[in-house]
Parts: sequence; structure tokens; C-alpha cells
Amino acid sequence: MSTSDRSQGRTRGTTPRIADLASTPETPRTPPGRSNSSIYGSPGGFRVEDEYVVLEVGARFVRGGLPGETTPRCTLTFGPDEQRRAADYRQWDPEHHHSRRKRKRDQAWGQDHELYRLDINQVDLGLVEDKFERAMREAFNKYFVLDTKPRRIMLSLPPKLPHALMSTILDVLFGNFQAPSITLLSAPVLATVAAGLRSALVVDIGWAETLITAVCEYREVNEQRTTRATKLLSEHMANILNAALDDEPGAGDPKAEISFEEADEVLTRVGWCKSKPRSNRRTMYFAARTSPILEEFEDAVESPEPTINIPFPKHTPPTELTIPFTSLAKPAESALFAPDMALNEFDDQELPLHHLIYRALLSLPMDVRRLCMSRIIITGGGSQLPGLKTRLLAELEALVSQKGWDPVRNYGSASARHEQLMNQKRENLELRNQEGEDKVSESLDPETPLPPGLQNPEEDFIDAKLSHLALKNVPSASLVGGVIRGVDTLGAWAGASLVAHHRIKGIVEIERERYLQHGLQGATREKEVSVVQQRQSMGPGIGMGRGGGDRASWTLGVWA
Amino acid sequence: MAQPFPYTYYTCDCFDSNNPLASKRGPQPLEEDERDFDPHNPRSNYTLYPLEQLLYCEDCQQIRCPRCVAEETINWYCPSCLFEVPSSVVKSDGNRCTRNCFNCPVCTSPMTTNSLDQHGDGPPYILACPYCKWSTVEIGIEVEKGTGISAQLAKIANGGHPIPSLKERDKERERKKELESRRREKDAMSPTQDSPTTDTERDSTPSHDDLFYNLSSFYKSQIDAQTPSNPFSSAEINFSSPSAYSRIMSMYSSSSRKNKRSKPAPARDAASILEGLSIHDPSNDAQAIERIKREGWSTTLQPSQKLAQPDPTIRFSDELRPLATLLCTKRSKRCRSCRHILSKPENKITSTRYKIKLLALNHIPRISMRALPSQYTQSSSAPSATATPFAYDALKPGIPTHFLLHISNPLFDPIRVTLATPSTTPGKVQSRVTILCPQFEVGANTDVWDDALASSLSPIKHSAQDAGQIEAGKIWDRGRNWTSVVVEVVPGFLDGVPGLASSIGPGAAPPTSTNDGRKRSGTGALRDVGEDDGDLNYDEDVLEIPVFVRLEFEADVNAEERGLGDSRGSKGEREKREEAFWVVVGLGRIVEI
Ligand SMILES: [Zn+2]
Ligand SMILES: [Zn+2]
Ligand SMILES: [Zn+2]
Ligand SMILES: [Zn+2]
Repeated sequence: MSTSDRSQGRTRGTTPRIADLASTPETPRTPPGRSNSSIYGSPGGFRVEDEYVVLEVGARFVRGGLPGETTPRCTLTFGPDEQRRAADYRQWDPEHHHSRRKRKRDQAWGQDHELYRLDINQVDLGLVEDKFERAMREAFNKYFVLDTKPRRIMLSLPPKLPHALMSTILDVLFGNFQAPSITLLSAPVLATVAAGLRSALVVDIGWAETLITAVCEYREVNEQRTTRATKLLSEHMANILNAALDDEPGAGDPKAEISFEEADEVLTRVGWCKSKPRSNRRTMYFAARTSPILEEFEDAVESPEPTINIPFPKHTPPTELTIPFTSLAKPAESALFAPDMALNEFDDQELPLHHLIYRALLSLPMDVRRLCMSRIIITGGGSQLPGLKTRLLAELEALVSQKGWDPVRNYGSASARHEQLMNQKRENLELRNQEGEDKVSESLDPETPLPPGLQNPEEDFIDAKLSHLALKNVPSASLVGGVIRGVDTLGAWAGASLVAHHRIKGIVEIERERYLQHGLQGATREKEVSVVQQRQSMGPGIGMGRGGGDRASWTLGVWA
Repeated sequence: MAQPFPYTYYTCDCFDSNNPLASKRGPQPLEEDERDFDPHNPRSNYTLYPLEQLLYCEDCQQIRCPRCVAEETINWYCPSCLFEVPSSVVKSDGNRCTRNCFNCPVCTSPMTTNSLDQHGDGPPYILACPYCKWSTVEIGIEVEKGTGISAQLAKIANGGHPIPSLKERDKERERKKELESRRREKDAMSPTQDSPTTDTERDSTPSHDDLFYNLSSFYKSQIDAQTPSNPFSSAEINFSSPSAYSRIMSMYSSSSRKNKRSKPAPARDAASILEGLSIHDPSNDAQAIERIKREGWSTTLQPSQKLAQPDPTIRFSDELRPLATLLCTKRSKRCRSCRHILSKPENKITSTRYKIKLLALNHIPRISMRALPSQYTQSSSAPSATATPFAYDALKPGIPTHFLLHISNPLFDPIRVTLATPSTTPGKVQSRVTILCPQFEVGANTDVWDDALASSLSPIKHSAQDAGQIEAGKIWDRGRNWTSVVVEVVPGFLDGVPGLASSIGPGAAPPTSTNDGRKRSGTGALRDVGEDDGDLNYDEDVLEIPVFVRLEFEADVNAEERGLGDSRGSKGEREKREEAFWVVVGLGRIVEI
């Protein structure tokens, strides 16, 4: 297996494939394999009972609560009603609910519901601070209702959040809320924890982007992004609803232009996604493979066509729209899967979700991939759309059976091991054969080597271990690999709640005094070294242990 | 706009002066007077307060807003039953009433406990909303007792199924695990096809809480297994390699060195629902879709209803739970920079009084604006019997209109006031503003009988004959501790009349204000931004005038600074003081012509 993987690395030079994209510097801020935001515990120290609050910050919400609780105490949003002045009570005015809010000039779709945007050039950081500070004040005063003791903060952040945004958030927490320390944890790692896993492919369908993170042993090893996410989804929903409103008999002259709030509500209430992949030539072409997707490739036609009535009290005149139920699945289709476009028509940052998941998997070393493909966690706001998870997994299954590697089953016996090796040989062959098919990445540097973190060690060691392990008391279910499998997660907040509850220390822990002195600049650059030095005496494997003493230095881990 | 016109908001500029961390993010600090305050900037919403809501730190001699005070909880209570909750209970039982108080999950009204008994006084009981008529009947919940509702509800899931307590959960989990491991042993004896998840667990979809507690117990057992008595004994894994690969190795590697100690079981993933593992089940998706299709819009929940729920990921109305009433707190407030107490309520729950409350309105002059009565502006108008009230919500663009700016002084010393305002209001709708007398004195807030003695500040008599006699540089009127001056305002045109901007002259401010930290680069390239079709944003037709207020006065040296053995602190020692801040006066709404 190791030899095959290495040869795969060498053959890169010939024809670029999707697999090569991830390991090239196309996304400069995501060098795979060097991150270290894992939640390994530190030496089994015995620290005083520290009290925490647990926060999760995203582009459109903050969740906050206390460790060990199953759900956050509050999920705070950043809509226009949250941005009013003191003593502005118009949101409680019944009149207010009958007027449609117009989008501001120069504002992007949904922008006045955002805490921040990732493009730092478009962010008024002072405003981010204002919003976040107000939200945190509400969280502490209305929902946490703690005594006066300052609390440490367990903070879930998206990986690679721009430093300017991070400092803004940390400034508020250290400055206004007097946190003695803040532990940063990356959302995909926490989602993995909250799924009971140590390795996973985390597909976070967020607001402005979908972020796919391969997590291996609590470390991010690969990251892919696409703008196909909730924002685009709600924009497509708005288009469909506007068109339907304009088609209504007696529709007014000015074209319908529903607000973000209306589109978002429709999306989250009755939006859905077809669970079965759309039939297309390519999947049919591979009909010889035994794949479940072939069982049904046409939507069954129901008659009469089911419809849904959606009230639009803010429309002029107020109306109730009757819309075919299938229309409500169209936004997911066009925004997330874009089946009408050929793969090579997409920019790198707008790949359809299933292709991006496939690419993420393909760019992983075979053994990491084997683990990750059976631990696909689909999370984030967009993942709530009913049918979407099933659909993504089915699409992926189809892609794999069409292009890629064979599912590897049956670990745990000598024959299985043999089968695995055979499969991998076969897979490698296929990967090479298939290299001619995709022309997407021709422009990319073919010479870029696999980053060291992803290169194979020489030994055919895992196999031996695996067969050895199977005899021991490890449930085989925890070793499943090689098949496409979705695993549910309770989400990053719940993960952070678990981590804080069990007093697991994070790697990126920032002490107040140091931060106040140096800000983010205080982080040591040699993060890998410093982490190891602190951790060499740690207990094996689990990656978790009870917290240890204070550290002399701290790192920014995955956010460096 | 927030309050009826005309209104006045006061700024607290703590966001760029008191937080040392925040200041580095602000715009280039300018001289206070040079920097115009833009009420249309979204940031202004976070710095403007009605005077009544502001506190004042006498030690720092500064306004204190909710943002620059530190709050400390004095006590906790349920706003519904007014029961005071001890802090230990808050800690153990959380932030909600643990007795009988609930809010409606549909409309948030307080719910009542109703008996379903024919006579109306026996079990079973339900919670019902008197406002929207929602009740726990809709989620299949009745309780046996009319009190202790919270404790009873905690044990009943929707549909009436019991919710196990934490202890019961643990016990049940252990029992099932026992079964599982026995079955595994059997499987090991006669190996069959590997079935990753056991089918028997599939009988019911585990709830969010089920999974959470299962996960929690799984991690606890993993940590316990990994933490031998000597935590430094079993360090085997070399983490110095950044290789992801080595981490996999670690997963399968129980030991890479010879180690005769008992080896802890290798760390691993959760392997079953009992350990918190939940494999994606397509039938959940299918059921949800089918249900939306069948039952439609009304069966789904509004976003705000979901957010208020303990589990905000629910979708359907039969998943709602009544919301135990959030506890309220009484809090004292300290100045964030000097820690002095600024406000402290009385301990008693039912009291709304304060032991200490240092209100800004006792230190900061009250500023207000209103239209100059029409008889003074229209020379020919008949005496005011027929005068209609001024229409603040219909200001006419392009028409010069006179307003009176009124300042009343709460201090016991006379103050010297300097007002400054940009000659055109910032923002898209540019109105011209001229304060006819920007510098004047306001008398001290002396006792009433002193008033009669103070002859120097007698009111100015205005009569209809004065009409048209408004003079620049002169105050309009004054009283014991107040002064009023005339402000001329020419409301701007909503559609931006061409040529208006150029006619304003050199004083015209560029539309982007200097305290707007936003960088606008790149927005032009975005295809999805709102179009600049000339339409106004929400509230952009509101005429708000930023006024920079500077006060100078002499006051007794602060008691504290004077005191404590300072022998030369003679009585009557005076010091010069200065106070400066922005206010925003909302005059009204401009109409189109
Ligand atoms: Zn303030
Ligand atoms: Zn109560
Ligand atoms: Zn109700
Ligand atoms: Zn102070």
C-alpha cells in the first residue's frame, strides 16, 4: 500500500487530476497536515476546578452555554432587530411586521444578518465588535446569569478565521468580559468530538461557504472550500419565490422582491432536497457497477402534483402563495449541486458540494481516506435541509463508483487483509486510468509534492496492527473504514460542551495577561515544537487527558 | 429613529476611549471637535442612548453606558412567581424557574396550569396559553399534580413517554452494554459477517440528549482508561512528527516501546449508539420531507420559535416544549475603569428602588429641540388659536424651518456651553443646519426661591411683533437654569436634488464620515450587493442632527480629592471642569415633495 501511494505521488506529474488540487498551494491558507488544533490533553496534572462558559461563534450566530449541558442556553442572531438603538422598540410594533425590509444599498444578500464576513476588506471591525459585545452582554446577563466570578471561555471558531476577526472577538471577551483564559477549538474538530469520532470528514455547510475539513486524530489534515452554502441557497430560494409571486394571477406591476428574512424562513421551514441523485449520463454509463443509485433515477411523478401554501403577509397585497412542492427542492439543486454545468466550468471556489467532498477524500492519503470516507459528518446550518445529507452521501457514492476507489469492506481477518490489499491495487490502477478524464486542473503545477504530513511512512504496518487489533477487545464497529458512511454529530457547541465538561485541555489556550500584553502576536511561531514539548509525557492515543498546568507559551494552532 | 419626534440621544464614546483593546481598531483618532458623528452609520446604534439610561461616574467624571460598566449579580428571581432563587440552585438547576412558571413556546405569553378534570380542580393538569390557546395537549403532555410542574415535565417527553433521569440513563446504558459485549463474545466464537451497528439499537431514534449523555459517558470511560495512576508512565506516542500518518499509527498502536506495565486499551471511536455514535439514517430525511409535503407550512416552526427552544434544531410543531421562565437578576453596576459602584438596587425582589443610582441626568444638561411656535416666524399670522401642532413626521425639504434648542442645567454651577454641528447632516439626505447662537451660558440649578433673586437672567420677552426678528448671535430665551437658542434647518431632498450638494458651499461634508471604519474597496465588484437605485435605506429619511456639546464650568473640588488629611483643602476651593460629548437630535421625518 505504501508503495502504491508513493507511486501515485509520482504519477502526478503526468496528468493532473482532481486529487492533485488539494495538495497544491491553490488555497494558500490551508496547508494540509501542519495544523495542530487537536484537543490532546496535557500531562495529567491536577488543576483546580476551573469554571468555563462555552461559546461557538459563526458568521451569523453565537451560541453560548455552560459545560456539560446538552444544548446551548442561547443562540443569538445578528439581524436588524438586534442592531437597534437603546429604547427603539419598533420591532414590537405590530405595524412593523407588515412592512417588508428593503435591502440596504451596497449590501450583499443577508449581509445585515451577519456578524462578520470573511473578506476582511469588507468588514467594519468596529461594527463586528459592537455586535459581538452586545450579544455577549445579552448572553451573560440574560442566559448565563452567573455569579461574579470570571469564567474561562471555551471558544469554538471556524478554522482559519482571519486574525483581525479573531482579535476582535478575543478583545471583547478579554476586555469586556474579563475572561482569565480562552481556549480556542476548531469547529470541525469539535463536530468530530460530538460525533464520537477521532477522525472524520467534516462537511460544514455554513453561511457564506461550505468548509470541508478532513480531521484525523483530532487534527485538520485537509481543507476544501466552496461558496456553495446557505447564503447562495437562500438567494436561489428568493429567486424561485419571486418568480412564483410574479406568476400569481393579479400580481402587481413592480416585480416581487422578497426580503432575506422571508426567503430564509421559507428555506428553513419548508425547503428540502431530493434524496436521490439526479439521473445523468455519467452515472448511467457506469451501470455495470452495482450501485444503489441505479435503483431509481427518475422522480416518481405524483398526481395531482403536491403543493404548499406559503403566506406572504409582507407582500403588497398580502398573499398566500401556492407553490408546487418540488419547486422548494430546486434551490438545493441549483445552489449546491449545479447539475447542469460540466465540472470544468466551475471556478475552484464554487465546486458543487459532492465533487468537493470527493476531491477532499481523493486528496487524502489512502489510509486517512479509508477512515474519513466512513465518517462523513455533515453539519452546519445548511445541513438542516431535509434530504440533503442523504443526497450528498448518495452523490458521493455515485461519484466513487463512477470514478474512484472500491469500497473496502471486511477488516479484521486475514482474508480481509488480503482483500484490502487487492482493492488498493485495483484502486490505484483505476486512479491512474481515470486521470485522462478530468481536465479540470491542467493549469496547476504538477510538480508540487505531497506535503510531508501526508506522505506515507514506509512500513506496511497498519495492516499488521489492524489484524492484530481485531483480536483484541476493540469493537469492530469503531474500525469501520472504506465504505461511504454518514455519521451524525451533535454539533460544534455540544462538542465544546463535552470537552469543557471533561476538562480536556485544548492546544490553543490564551492567557489573559499575555493577550493583553501582546495580542495575537504573543503566540509562539514554533507551534509544533512547543506543543510537543508540553506534551511528550502524555498518555497514549486518546488525545484527551485531564488538564495540566499552565503553559509558558501558547500557539495559534490552526489559526496561525 | 426610535422614539416619538423630536427626541435626543446621547453618545457614550467608551468604545474608543475606555477599552484599550478596542481603541486600536478604531479610525485614526482625530481631535474630538473635528470628527463628525454620523447617526446613519450602523455603529451609532451601539453608542447612542436616551439620557435616562445613562449613568455617570463622579470619579472619572464621565458618562457611563451599559457597555462601560461591569455588572455583578446580587440575586436571582423568577419574574413570574417572584421567588428568589439561591445562587447554589442557579448553579445546579440552571437559569430557569424550577417551579411552575412557563412561557408559551408559540407566542411567549405566560402559561397557566389548568385542570382537565370536569370540576376543574383535580388531575390531570395541562399548561395552557391564555393568549394564543396553545396547550401541552398538542404535544401529548398531561401532568398529575398542579404544582411542581417543572419537575414533572422534566420526566415526560412529548407524547407522554418518560424521560429517564441521569442515573436511570447510566443504569440502562450499562445494562445494554453488558448485553452487547456478551453478544460480541458470542460473535467472536462463531464469526459471522461483520455488522457495524447492531440492529437492536435501531428501535427508536435516540434524542439529542440521549446521544449527548451517551457520548459523555463514553468519553469519561475513555479518559479513565487513558489516565493510569501514574500519568507519566505510558507515554508512548511520539507526537513530534507532524505527520498525520503517525496519528493513525497512534490509534492502532498500543505501544511502540517495550512496556511491561498493563497497557491501557487503545483509544478508539465510539462504536454504538450507547457510546453516542449515530449513523446517518436516510429514513429520517424521508420522513421529514414526507411530513412537510403532507402537512404543509403550518406544521413547521417559525425561526424565532425554534431559537427559543432548548433544542433549536427541531422543525415541527409537535416537537415544541413549554419554555420554563428565564430567571431575572438584580445587578449592581460598577464603573469599568475605576470600579466605583454606579448603581445598586435594593435587595428585595419586589422593590424597584435603588440604594445607589448615579444618573447621568443629574450631571449632564438635558438638551431638546422643538419647532419654534409659528406665530414667531410668520409675521402676518393671526394669534395662535388656530395653530396646528407642528408635523414632525412631515418635514418639508428645501424649506427653512426654525427650531428651538433648549438646554437645561442640572448642576449647581452655571455652565458655559459651546455647540457645534456639521453644516450639512451626514448621510445621503443632506440637510442644512445652522445654530444661530452656538455659544452661551446657562444658569445654575439653584433652589427655586433663589430664582427670584437672580435678576441677571430674566426671561426675554417675545411677542408676535418680534416675528422675523430672529437674530444671529443672540439667545432666544432663558430661565433660571435653562437657555434656548434658535436653530435654522433646511431639510434635505430625499431624492438628492441635483445641484443641492454644490449649492451648500465649502462646508459640505463628504458623504462618508470620518468615524466610519468601513472600507468600501471591492464592493463594486460584487454582483450580489443591493443596487444603488437611489432608494433610501430604512430610516434614512429621518432628519437627525449630530450636535457636539462642550461644557465649561467651575465646580467645588471633588469631596474625595479634597478630603483625607489634605490640609490645604479649604472650603470653597474651585476647579475648572470640562465636559464634551455628542448628542443626536431626531427632529422628524422628511417627506417627499
Ligand atoms: Zn460607555
Ligand atoms: Zn417562577
Ligand atoms: Zn401562546
Ligand atoms: Zn469611574
